[in-house]
Amino acid sequence: MTSARYIDGKSLVVWLLVMAAMALAPHYASRYAIILLSTILMYVVLSVSWAMFSGPTKYISLAPAAFFGAGIYSAAVLGSSLPLLVVILIGGAVSFCLAVLVGALTLRLRGIYFVMFTFGLVELLMHFLLWFELNINDTTGRVVPSIDNSTVYYLMLAVFSLLMVTVYALQGSKFGMALKGVGENEEAAAHIGVNVTVLKITVFGLSAFFMGLAGAIMATKWTYIDPKIAFNPVVSFMPVLMAIFGGLGRPYGPIIGAAIFSYLGEFLITKFPYYYMLIFGVILVVAILYMPGGLVGMAQDIRKYFLRRQHADS
Amino acid sequence: MVKKSRLLQGLMVLGVAMAFLVGATAADCAPKKDKDKIVIGQAISLSGPLAGGVAISGGKIYELWVEEVNKNGGIYVAEYGKKLPVELKRYDDKSDIGTMSNLIEKLIVEDKVDFIFPPWGTAWLFAAAPICNKYGYILIGGPGGAGKLKELSLPYFFQVLNFSETQAPVLASIFKEVGVKSVAVIYRADLHGIEFGKSLIPDFKKKGIKVKMNKSYPDGIKDVSPMLKEAKSLGVDALVVACYPPGGMLFTAQAMELDINFNAFFLTVLPFSPPLFKGTFGKAIEGVMGGGAWNAKTSPGAKELVEKFKAKFGEEPDYWGGLYYWASLQHFQKAIEKAGTLDQKKIRDIMATQKFETALGPFWYDKDRFFVNHPGEIGQWQKDVFEVIDPGVKRTAPPEYPKPNWPKKAK
Repeated sequence: MTSARYIDGKSLVVWLLVMAAMALAPHYASRYAIILLSTILMYVVLSVSWAMFSGPTKYISLAPAAFFGAGIYSAAVLGSSLPLLVVILIGGAVSFCLAVLVGALTLRLRGIYFVMFTFGLVELLMHFLLWFELNINDTTGRVVPSIDNSTVYYLMLAVFSLLMVTVYALQGSKFGMALKGVGENEEAAAHIGVNVTVLKITVFGLSAFFMGLAGAIMATKWTYIDPKIAFNPVVSFMPVLMAIFGGLGRPYGPIIGAAIFSYLGEFLITKFPYYYMLIFGVILVVAILYMPGGLVGMAQDIRKYFLRRQHADS
Repeated sequence: MVKKSRLLQGLMVLGVAMAFLVGATAADCAPKKDKDKIVIGQAISLSGPLAGGVAISGGKIYELWVEEVNKNGGIYVAEYGKKLPVELKRYDDKSDIGTMSNLIEKLIVEDKVDFIFPPWGTAWLFAAAPICNKYGYILIGGPGGAGKLKELSLPYFFQVLNFSETQAPVLASIFKEVGVKSVAVIYRADLHGIEFGKSLIPDFKKKGIKVKMNKSYPDGIKDVSPMLKEAKSLGVDALVVACYPPGGMLFTAQAMELDINFNAFFLTVLPFSPPLFKGTFGKAIEGVMGGGAWNAKTSPGAKELVEKFKAKFGEEPDYWGGLYYWASLQHFQKAIEKAGTLDQKKIRDIMATQKFETALGPFWYDKDRFFVNHPGEIGQWQKDVFEVIDPGVKRTAPPEYPKPNWPKKAK
């Protein structure tokens, strides 16, 4: 099983091929495919960065909307006063600091308490910003200068690549092992000398950093940002659903889950605008009931089944 | 074994991705068919928090207009030498801005629709306007809008609805006329509320009306009785609330519940909607004022719209934007017919500069492409009619002041 956690030559080749195909996409794909891919990449980034922390540690965080929103709002405040890349990095940094602060306060909580608090954070930030904007700045919304679609796409792709490198580096390192240890048995991990608090807070911050980057990039697509738009609770549930849909604890799970999930959403909403929710709901229920390992888990089960058949034949 | 399968997995992913990208490209290169219809795309909230608003204001007017146009065989376009029927292609944006902006781009670059109709809500318009502008697509604003949109100054965006900058001075004049001495202004903490709440103050001051209270409330509030009681304790003549329908319902219901009466009771976004406001409170709404405004008496075309709307949907139309959107679509149709082509730029240039006769009378845009000739600004419910009470020619009935007290509940 450990071999699946390290990247080997063949996987690397496949990765490079996929990345090359994606990097060249604006040259051969339709304009709308690029817009769609940016959105899919956004969800992939959110899901993978969510799974990076919540997968191994089993701390279910519902704060993605808060970190995503912090990135969006940083971009909205800075607007056009700084170069784009700087704005995006600041968006990530703000989310990182927020996560470290919140993590230091709350990562002692376990189970449902942690879930509730992280979700409460989304509302807290939204209302604080509403109050602040209204009473201190006399405004509610801000206008963000928009950038063109292919720039948004390349930025998202860059964030995604950076994220994947981080995820693999983490998995292959002793920190990754320690993080898994936290998920298996936190006391035991602490006893064998892992500094669990620092570890948890750092990785929590790291995952928030990527969510913040994604938020800052997306802000440029929406033009008008107010706290209610920036902190949309749905964004907290999506990465969780997508990661589970794809399969948690498996390297490609969150990526495949998010990609298929968001493409499916797009496909259904345009083909069946009036029944979209119904169809989507049924798919979700079926997936949760019959595919405990997610899509990737199911694929592996099918493969095992065929392998067994082959062995039985020989 | 494991390694081999992962290589396969990766290649599969790659294959699927390529197929999807190339498929989308192929769709792009499909040959253009001869024109047999005009397709208008719209990404609007059919589900989610905004869906209720779409149902009571705006959404249905577009459907009615398409039906009306097709009854007459379509829009005559000289370039094709025939009338082209109109098809409305709608997507659901789930009340989500990101989805909406993606869908508008899909409509433009992939579905290649001929025109775009607006999404619902101010922030949504904000996001949609630059996108349409980038592709050189005309966007006629429907429900939503704010003075802030002028700052973006987008040549392809047309604002149809009126809001605080024209309504506030008229409300202040009406208050002056009936003898209101002091007001309490309460506003929702969002773009609409703040713009309204803030722009009213100078107008009231100009007319010598005292603003004794000026407070905001957060969205999603469940109890407004402290604000009502505070306003009452200050002894103000008029209560002015800049709100959205849910907040407006709360203010009305709680004022009735606590039997708190003011001589004038004004809500921005709610009284204009008969199904929602009249349907909920019935006769009790006598004397309530609201943003708007028009009614069947405004013009012959307005009367016709009310009748057509009632016949199709079995309820009265919205008495704020209903006639405006309707007339803006008629103006749009005449601009297309005059241009004789579906070329956006030619149509835009005609729209921006020319007057056409519509259901509400002459319709034109000012230099910022904001619609000017509103049928009315402020309405008041009087004996089951949402009367226009603006001073001057638009008035359909004089203001009723003081407003009768809320009906006593049968104990």
